[in-house]
Amino acid sequence: MEGGEEDQQSPIQRSFSSPGNQDELLKITAESGASSGGSRASSIVTLIYVVYKSIRTVVFSNKLNLLLPFGPAAILVQELTDQTAWVFFLSLVGVAPLAERLGFATEQLAFYTGPTVGGLLNATFGNATELIISIFALKSGLIRIVQLSLLGSILSDLLLVLGCAFFCGGLVLRKEQLFNKATAGVNSGLLLVAVMGLLLPTVLHYTHTEVYFGKSELALSRFSSCTMLVTYAVYLYFQLKSQSNLYVSLNEEGIQIEEGVDDEEAPQISKWESVIWLLVITTCVSILSEYLVDTIEGTSIALNIPLSFISVILLPLVGNAVDHASAITFAMKDKLDITLGVSIGSSTQIALFVIPFSVVLGWIMGQAMDLNFQLFETTTLVVSVLVVALMLQEGTSHYFKGLIFLLCYLIVAASFFVHDSSAGGQF
Amino acid sequence: MDYKLQPVSGRSQLEMGALNGESVHELGDESPYSPEKETRKLCSPKIEHGSSSGNSQASINVMLRNVYKSIKIVVFSNKLNLLIPFGPIAIIVKKLNGGHAWVFFLSLLGITPLAERLGYATEQLAVYTGPTVGGLLNATFGNATELIISIYALKSGMVRVVQLSLLGSILSNMLLVLGCAFFCGGLVCHKEQRFKKETAVVNSGLLLMAVMGLLFPAVLHYTHTEVHSGQSELALSRFSSCIMLVAYAAYLFFQLKSHRNLYDALNEDGSPIEEGSNDNEIAEISKWESIIWLFIMTTWISILSEYLVHAIEGTSIAWNMPLTFISVILLPIVGNAAEHASAIMFAIKDKLDISLGVAIGSSTQISMFGIPFSVVVGWMMGQRMDLNFQLFETATLFITVLVVAFMLQEGTSNYFKGLMLILCYLIVAASFFVHEDPSQGDDNQPKT
Repeated sequence: MEGGEEDQQSPIQRSFSSPGNQDELLKITAESGASSGGSRASSIVTLIYVVYKSIRTVVFSNKLNLLLPFGPAAILVQELTDQTAWVFFLSLVGVAPLAERLGFATEQLAFYTGPTVGGLLNATFGNATELIISIFALKSGLIRIVQLSLLGSILSDLLLVLGCAFFCGGLVLRKEQLFNKATAGVNSGLLLVAVMGLLLPTVLHYTHTEVYFGKSELALSRFSSCTMLVTYAVYLYFQLKSQSNLYVSLNEEGIQIEEGVDDEEAPQISKWESVIWLLVITTCVSILSEYLVDTIEGTSIALNIPLSFISVILLPLVGNAVDHASAITFAMKDKLDITLGVSIGSSTQIALFVIPFSVVLGWIMGQAMDLNFQLFETTTLVVSVLVVALMLQEGTSHYFKGLIFLLCYLIVAASFFVHDSSAGGQF
Repeated sequence: MDYKLQPVSGRSQLEMGALNGESVHELGDESPYSPEKETRKLCSPKIEHGSSSGNSQASINVMLRNVYKSIKIVVFSNKLNLLIPFGPIAIIVKKLNGGHAWVFFLSLLGITPLAERLGYATEQLAVYTGPTVGGLLNATFGNATELIISIYALKSGMVRVVQLSLLGSILSNMLLVLGCAFFCGGLVCHKEQRFKKETAVVNSGLLLMAVMGLLFPAVLHYTHTEVHSGQSELALSRFSSCIMLVAYAAYLFFQLKSHRNLYDALNEDGSPIEEGSNDNEIAEISKWESIIWLFIMTTWISILSEYLVHAIEGTSIAWNMPLTFISVILLPIVGNAAEHASAIMFAIKDKLDISLGVAIGSSTQISMFGIPFSVVVGWMMGQRMDLNFQLFETATLFITVLVVAFMLQEGTSNYFKGLMLILCYLIVAASFFVHEDPSQGDDNQPKT
């Protein structure tokens, strides 16, 4: 559903931020002022003014940005004290608004680049936070954390986000909601492809039947990752070019609703601003991610919580917080297709793009990142994908289905709370 | 059985609920257990007349006559009750120190009619209490036999027997009962029968949640990746059981209150059928009689269950069969015999939603209520009952749930689907026949 995310994001932005129409006027004034051949001083003033307006639009117009100071606070705490747990939590909270602004900047840029490149942008940057965290963890050689955090992100999207959306939508609207089952079916199929890609190296390792012990899973993982990336590329092509009619939303009578009823067409910041903000926010996310990754093991020891619980449950909770909120909002507005795009589309993206991409990146970096997520984690993923695929195939939702997903997520979370993930274990 | 409740309330949507349709004979002529219905209906008004006379001697006579009538209705009107004497015989054999195998076999036969009568008494009581409480009654007592056997086994510390018998009950309901129903229905009706797939999907989802609850402790234990070895699975099992009970409660609420329209039965055109064509609206015994009979049946079943549970290990040695086979295959076949018959009956009458309610609803009830309830009861008793059913059993359950979920997703059935399910059950049974339980020896040893 990444192709449609540019439309999905703008109502979110509207719910979070105020339209910056006056900024357009001011920008035009500033530009016309600059182009009218005024003195150098006035062009510097207009530049500062433009920057100020940009900052105002991007930074100050969103309530979530109240959490922004937590980021620098985390850095301060890390430099001044030894409290790893605090640093971890502060960085976690600090990343949340940055992730949201990153999505905003991506969507703004997408306005200028047209739907195709825009869809590609969304497809790549949609889970940028997870990507960046994975890259830093790979650099530090924390392969297990990469695997666990990506797995947790998929599970959280599939069960928690979708469950909350179905539950709230069903309770608020008090009826059965419909969604396009063709897209749900395609996404379920793709998730199962990813499951296969993860399952086979794991079972190979677990049954000790690989040809070259220790090497075969890695080679297989790398090959499977390339295949999964190809699958993802074809999926993008399928989505953006050839089957656009499959992805039009349905309302209750199954008639295609007209898009554009409440979409905001005008971008809020200019193209270069979007690019610059994209870079700025990415840098900030990178900095905080580094702190996050460095403190994760210390936090596990300090709080006496298993590493798997922190990586699988806590880390994605914040990373997906924004997805969470938007999915629930759309479900309550009876736009269940967009909700599905946010949640299932995001899990497909992580499963088929971010995970293989991490493997390839590890390959380039010389890290032994493979698709063997160990048996317990892979089992969790298999069962979750099956539950979701089975429930979604009908094309209807009600609050009880959402409740089932939520309770399944609780069981999964409880399992990881008592799970020791340090890839040891006798088999 | 609960099909009968519909005309009373007009909308009692209990077919897909957690019920077992034990009173097949309520349906009148087509029942294989044909009772003397007409004489019973004539008898019931007399009970009211007799009690209005004032003489104390006469009122004792009246009471005796009521009791006699009640016994006649409950005990003597059902051909299955011919098996009732086997119960006392089992007790006698045990007292005379007969072989374990005989005690086991006789108690098994003795429980069958009692289970059926328990269902009958529950259903009669439900007529008086209205659809909601009636549904709750069915949801709790629907698999009372299995629950009682589990409680006794837990008391004796035979945790493995509890796990295996509950698992076997689920497998038998999902594969054998459903398969026979589809098969016979398809053969007799010569067409594809339809049922509501929404309820089937919800039930499949719940069964998968149960599988999840069972799978994680098993895999955690098997891969030795738990944080505190021996403690973690137990804690996780207890937590998961509470969650599953919450899910079951929400399911009951969902079924009985908010989505009742989903549970109307369909006929072939997909339009809701008119209820009331061949339903019996009048309860056959009074409210207090139902409660008393409920207690009597429960007590009897408890007594026989105790003998059953104590004899099971001796039987395994005497017959030279694995304990798993006896617990998983033999025990539930008898426990589910009445449900079996009623599911086939309803399928032949093209009322497939009720068959599904009996079969899948019963599996859902055991997996989402019976199993977690046993864990909680074990918690209270201090027994180490957990959801780790060992890998082989959990894998069997997983595959079975997948097979059934996929077969049911279409909303249609034919005899071949039924045949496939029955043959799957044969494969499962054969597997358990050659399956030796690895945890057999250390069942009662404390884990480190």
